[in-house]
Amino acid sequence: MTMDTPPPAGEPDDSTSAGTIGDSGYTLEDLSDYSDRGREPAIPAIDDNAECQSVLASIERVGALSRDLVAKEATDHPALDESWFGSLFAAISSEAKAGRDIPLSSPDPRTRLSITEGAVRELVRAAGDGVDGALVGRCQLHGDLDGAGSGIRVELSISVLLGAPVHEVAALVRQRVYSELLAHTELAVEAVDVTVADVHVIPNPQGGTE
Amino acid sequence: MRHPVTDLTLASDEILAERSADGDTVAFAVLVRRHGPYLRAFAARITGSSADADDAVQEALITAWDALSSLEDFSKVRAWLTSIVSRKSTDRIRRRKPSSELDEQRAEADHRGPEARAIASSQLDALADVLAALPEGQRQCWVLKEVGGYSYDEIADELDITPAVVRGRLARARATVISEMEVWK
Repeated sequence: MTMDTPPPAGEPDDSTSAGTIGDSGYTLEDLSDYSDRGREPAIPAIDDNAECQSVLASIERVGALSRDLVAKEATDHPALDESWFGSLFAAISSEAKAGRDIPLSSPDPRTRLSITEGAVRELVRAAGDGVDGALVGRCQLHGDLDGAGSGIRVELSISVLLGAPVHEVAALVRQRVYSELLAHTELAVEAVDVTVADVHVIPNPQGGTE
Repeated sequence: MRHPVTDLTLASDEILAERSADGDTVAFAVLVRRHGPYLRAFAARITGSSADADDAVQEALITAWDALSSLEDFSKVRAWLTSIVSRKSTDRIRRRKPSSELDEQRAEADHRGPEARAIASSQLDALADVLAALPEGQRQCWVLKEVGGYSYDEIADELDITPAVVRGRLARARATVISEMEVWK
């Protein structure tokens, strides 16, 4: 074994930080691993070594600072460039998520009419959101949508404004969704299942819009 | 808007992600405005370029939009978006510079030097300069590890290098960052 082999050129595949910290037998990398593991299981040779403790504190400090840095950069530059935003939203569309086609009866037998599942979900969201204190989350249509006459079940999750009467809000959403679907689609709605999945708050009393 | 009374900015991430999965572009826009600044700052630290960060985040969000319905826990949408952003950021780096060995040696010359570090007005400014001055490969590993919270293996996968190289780069980055930041203790 020769001690004077120069380190390989380019990218070394192991640590270049030789030498252990405070004669503990552990390197900076070892201490980093130890810190990443939440200092578990405890290694007395590290825990009882003042130099190791100081290095561990530094490792954790610069890690926390790095997270602070990115968080601070985000709060310092909260505005998104509107042209960036515009091109993002030009690239995405709800059509990609339109889902199944639901046939509608047509007065003219030569014309086929249909409404997409996505449009029905939008109708459901609009109906639910229209109830004071409710915001609709997920909306799923279960069952046969192709007009064979079998009933469908609408499942939706909602968030209720903190302090609003939860049961009343949920019942109103169910009612409103049911009547909107009846009015605007030919779906045989058997059930509208509403799950209250979340609550939301208005951050300050003046800021509320509902 | 058909329903001006609905204020989606009040909605939780979970509700917004669910609506986005169902095709609600308005909800997705609220989600993007809420988390876009963080995602951009994260990507900028990985790529070292705000132009690349903007592109990587945009690409990530387009991918996310298409994949949203596969998300298992909608309340964890931010972490999920962050992971897509880190992948798109490292993709851009790979496309930009095929030879990573060269970067390690060359990058030291770039960015702001010690003078800038000396006049940094706060320890966060100082850290920003220290990170910017790190060789690119080290900086990427550092940000993915310390900010993204990824394991050596995950970073190795993303950067297409071995876990041993990740470990080595992190050790060198850590030694530099700790010693440069010593004065700010």
